[in-house]
Amino acid sequence: METPLIEFKNVTKRFGPRTILDQVNLRIYEGQVSTIIGKSGTGKSVLLKHIIGLLSPDEGSVLFRGNPIASLKKSEWDAYRVQISYMFQNNALFDSMTVHDNVALPLRQTMNLSKSEIERRVMARIEQTELAEVVYKYPSELSGGMQKRVALSRALVTDPTIVLFDEPTTGQDPIRKNAILAMIAEYQRKLGFTAILISHEIPDVFFISNRILALYDGKIVFQGTPEELDEFEHPFKDEVIQSLEGFQEELTGLYSQRHFKVRYQADLSRKRRDETYAIALFTLEELEAISNVLGHTAAQEIIRAMGAYIDKHFGAVGGFSTRHSINEFVTVLPYSDLDEAGRILEDFAKDFQDRGIRDIGSVAQKEANSAECIDFTILAGLAQGKPFVEMESIIEFAKFRQQEIARFQCELRR
Amino acid sequence: MTTNSHDQDPGENEVTGRPGTFLTRPFAVFGRKVISWVDHMGAAAIFLGKACVMIFRPKQIPGIIQQIYYIGAKSITIIMLVGFFTGMVLGLQSYHALVKFGAQGALGTLVALSLVRELGPVLTAIMITARAGSAMTAEIGIQRISEQIDALDTMRIDPLKFLISPRIAASIISFPLLTALFDLIGILGGFLSGVVLLGVNAGTYFHRVQSSVEMKDITDGFIKALVFAVIVTTVCCYQGYFTHMRTDSYGAKGVSLSTTSAVVLSCVLILVADYVVTSFLI
Amino acid sequence: MKKYAMETAVGIFVVIGLFCVGYMTVKLGNVGLLGDDSYSLFARFTSVSGLRTGSSIQMLGIEIGRVDKLTMDQENQMALVEFRINKGIKIYDDAIASIKTEGLIGDRYVSIDPGGGTDELLQSGGTITETESPTDIQELISKYAFGDVEK
Repeated sequence: METPLIEFKNVTKRFGPRTILDQVNLRIYEGQVSTIIGKSGTGKSVLLKHIIGLLSPDEGSVLFRGNPIASLKKSEWDAYRVQISYMFQNNALFDSMTVHDNVALPLRQTMNLSKSEIERRVMARIEQTELAEVVYKYPSELSGGMQKRVALSRALVTDPTIVLFDEPTTGQDPIRKNAILAMIAEYQRKLGFTAILISHEIPDVFFISNRILALYDGKIVFQGTPEELDEFEHPFKDEVIQSLEGFQEELTGLYSQRHFKVRYQADLSRKRRDETYAIALFTLEELEAISNVLGHTAAQEIIRAMGAYIDKHFGAVGGFSTRHSINEFVTVLPYSDLDEAGRILEDFAKDFQDRGIRDIGSVAQKEANSAECIDFTILAGLAQGKPFVEMESIIEFAKFRQQEIARFQCELRR
Repeated sequence: MTTNSHDQDPGENEVTGRPGTFLTRPFAVFGRKVISWVDHMGAAAIFLGKACVMIFRPKQIPGIIQQIYYIGAKSITIIMLVGFFTGMVLGLQSYHALVKFGAQGALGTLVALSLVRELGPVLTAIMITARAGSAMTAEIGIQRISEQIDALDTMRIDPLKFLISPRIAASIISFPLLTALFDLIGILGGFLSGVVLLGVNAGTYFHRVQSSVEMKDITDGFIKALVFAVIVTTVCCYQGYFTHMRTDSYGAKGVSLSTTSAVVLSCVLILVADYVVTSFLI
Repeated sequence: MKKYAMETAVGIFVVIGLFCVGYMTVKLGNVGLLGDDSYSLFARFTSVSGLRTGSSIQMLGIEIGRVDKLTMDQENQMALVEFRINKGIKIYDDAIASIKTEGLIGDRYVSIDPGGGTDELLQSGGTITETESPTDIQELISKYAFGDVEK
């Protein structure tokens, strides 16, 4: 296994009589999106502040590429710090400065760049985060979502290699939340930094994280992929994940993954051995391209509308759905066999192509509020399932058989 | 049932559980206050020292100019107003005191020396404290509680260098200039009330002003202005910067308490320092 | 632009401030009033009580210079005073320097009777030999009060 980028060895931190971090051991690898989850107020922020050196452990050590950061020489420490950016939960914007000056500040104060170079970088980031209209306004004049994006621009303007996000989605509506997470994921892919998030947006963070670390009672009780977390049994899961997940997925109103699985198990346990059912997989193609052209918010709107449409149509025939990944939906039709499901799907496809996709497209267009437009397609695939067969493999099979069922085309430009 | 007084902490009172007795407790409280006061003095001195050193790092000029604007340029009106009326009332009172000895010709001397030696530096410093000092504390305090100072830390921008140094440099430049303005406007005010309104001879007035004020008086006044500048800025910035360490309240209330403390403490220290510096220079 | 207006305000403020400082220093502190356009003269007095550095030197009621230094001449048991006199003022060998008081309780100043009986002009560094020390008001009053002066 490669050397972890950041490692905590038996880190303990106390504030007065309370022990916040108790012998914490964790590893974070380069180039990944790692998310730290846990109950509110349990020390996630404290953990993050140790990474950037705003706090130091009472016991144990924090290592960077295998070297304890406490023993770094000043030049090495500077070199370490220069590549880290931090995004605060409450944004911590400088409210006496305009958006432009906020984003430009790190460049102006810590680097010796020419004015034009600074201008270029600042405007590039501002355009990327869709803030071009408000660039000369003050933070108090902006909405919460915009303030978050300003904080994000400011964090990214120095081209960091490690970015720490302290609860980046708090207080946002579901569309914005997913847009922010999608944005973080996209930048992480494009710019290749290591992202470390604190969040309790379950399961939305699971869609974008490579690695999950769970903090419970001052200790790290789990480190691994989101899939591994699924299979993991621990009281923390019941306490934390259940309370946070709820029944419905926030964005689409569909079942949450957990609840979906529960229902799946319940329904299928009632079937006889030879009864079959159908599983359909819907995919929105080219999500990244859509995000680039129309913006993340519009892209999330499309996903939301798509999910709502699917649920309405298939729910009527007894199906239930969930969001399977950032751009995929899985629907189970427990009462239909493959042929019947095929017919239902055809009906759906026709209806969708006639009306649904145009509705979705216009919603997205409105949200994007730019003259840009991009074609997008929805794929769907069907597979037959039998009880006692692993759901994942059925889904894989459905994926294999996906075909285009609907396409949105932009109006011809004049 | 026996009370095992041997097991208890030597200082602990059996009945109330608090350390010490009613005789010793006031001293302990006082001692604690003194220690905390000395602690703060030390911290403030270090705070000032570090900030002063960083005045000379690069990229400070725009910040310093901005602070000169807020502390100096924007105080011109109020300094002129207060200076003028101080001079006026000085002229009025001095006239009535001197006329009893037939010495009203010495009005110019009295007004000019009072202003240049004492009232100019002290009142200027107090007015700037009220205006710019309180603003400094409030602004830095709010930046502290809204994590803006932490944000500067994470961006590797030294908050002392960025926030405090420009203010100290700007104060050191602004206080003496404003004091000089106060002095001159005050002398003018004295002229208005003494000569124009009360009939002292104009020529005598200005002659007296010119002959009685010496270079030493002027330099003493400016030295005081500089000392006051350092005191006011350090106290106000320190209070704002460490608002979060207050134990008596948090958040917005903490900032308001810090601002009040800063202004009151600054004014008290101005007058204390006034006496100390005067006794050294006279 | 806002920034430009601010910088202008700062500039104006600093200019006004420096002007005030300069004015005070020059006019009131009497710096540079007597520079190269003055020359020194000396005089010895038995007492210079009440006279200070910077005290006015007047001739015929007009100010012509300032007292520069007061030192002790212990050999002769007298106080040595150095004057700075404006160039162009002629003072002769037989000049008399007296220390007088402005008004009854005012400042002390030096009054110079330029002389003119001789033709010898005092040059820079010269000494006025005829001097009158200040009259002590208290002595005068006590003489009146306790008798001693013939009516």
